[in-house]
Amino acid sequence: MTEKQTTTSAAFFATLKRDLLIAFKKKNDIVNPFMFFIIVVSLFPIGISPESDRLTEIAAGVIWISVLLASMLSMDNLYRSDFEDGSLEQLLLSPHPLFFLVLAKNISHWLVSGLPVVLVSPLLAYMLALPEEAYGTLVLSLLLGTPIMSLVGSIAVALTVGLGSRGLILAVITLPMSVPVLIFGTLAVQSTLNSQSPLGYLSLMLVMLSVSVSLAPLASAAALRISVN
Amino acid sequence: MWVWFFKLGSPKWFYELSGKWLPWLIGAMVIFMTVGVVWGLVFLPPDYQQGFTSRILIVHVAVAGTSLAFFPLMFVAGTITLVWRMKLADMVAKHAAILGAWFSFITLATGSLWGSVMWGTWWEWTDSRLVSMLFQLFLLLGVISLRSALEDSDAAAKACALLSIVGCINVVIIKYSVEWWNTLHQVSSPVTTDASSPNGPEFWIATLIMIVAVYLFLSVSLILSTRNEILERERKAQWVQDLVLKS
Repeated sequence: MTEKQTTTSAAFFATLKRDLLIAFKKKNDIVNPFMFFIIVVSLFPIGISPESDRLTEIAAGVIWISVLLASMLSMDNLYRSDFEDGSLEQLLLSPHPLFFLVLAKNISHWLVSGLPVVLVSPLLAYMLALPEEAYGTLVLSLLLGTPIMSLVGSIAVALTVGLGSRGLILAVITLPMSVPVLIFGTLAVQSTLNSQSPLGYLSLMLVMLSVSVSLAPLASAAALRISVN
Repeated sequence: MWVWFFKLGSPKWFYELSGKWLPWLIGAMVIFMTVGVVWGLVFLPPDYQQGFTSRILIVHVAVAGTSLAFFPLMFVAGTITLVWRMKLADMVAKHAAILGAWFSFITLATGSLWGSVMWGTWWEWTDSRLVSMLFQLFLLLGVISLRSALEDSDAAAKACALLSIVGCINVVIIKYSVEWWNTLHQVSSPVTTDASSPNGPEFWIATLIMIVAVYLFLSVSLILSTRNEILERERKAQWVQDLVLKS
């Protein structure tokens, strides 16, 4: 070996940097899911009711479900282009634990697709007449919930990466799995609206996040090894 | 000690062994099913509150209890597929997913029928068992559609095994979170009739017989479809060709 050995943390950050760079070169992949999110949320008042009382009731649920759908759309890019140009195989051949490389890809995916949605959510909450005191809880719950969705969704993407036309199978597999996140995310906002403490729900989401950070990349890595051979 | 376990990996061995079991299982199933159905649907006195609708519960409770067994079964089969690479485990898992989806659907259908009379509604979001059974059905359909999308059977086996393991963990989390969700929303619930309240030993003995009968039915259908799958996948093997030519 003439080349210098790299450490695992160097590989982790190199993967993270590479994915972020690619994302910023292909801005469509970032902008489209984000636009989709905003458009879906704006359709609800038109479809259901423009009255602010009714909107207040459904605001948290509408935002959460739109986030779920938007993350489903952006998820498709997670491994596909890497699979098509062969760099996914290189990733699997690397001597570093696949766990950390997958984690790096998931983190970069969340930074690109999850974080913008979280940041814009107060604006949409305002448009849906959510009372001001619930903004903080909504943002916090999304901050904890969107990474869980990226991590869990990554398993399904990894399983289906080899499929030529995967169409809606990703949604069929992933959406039922997002029920717990949806329940606790919306309950946290509801309890703030009922002037109760949302801390219990938020800490449960923190637990789910820690469990998914430690286990989901393992399953994603196993799924990638299954799909790419 | 482990010999029997590794023998299970051989489709031929399982095919021969299950051929010996089948007549006994089918016989036991017919006896239990006849006793359970006739007793539950004909002789059981109508419930003093629910009337004749309580008879639906005999079937519903048995099917519902059985349909909870599918994800654990697929979890075990998936682990065996991933760890020991046994072809047989995958064949069982494939049909367990399909049967599980049917059982979940029948649970929901019989539950709705009973609910339409007793609760006055076909669907009730505040009942956590309904909601978690619905999502179990969705997860099973996800496993089935993943298998039909992946053509290569080896990759499909491993992928479905992994998804079954993840799905099994998820079903447990969904079950508890849905219960949590309900206890909060269920302030004034129309659902007050406890589905499992026994109104006498006759009722629960009939239910118990039906549960045994449905479990036997599950084993028989799983074995039959697995045998079918063995014949199809091993069609190039000598013993299958001998078997087909003989009959």
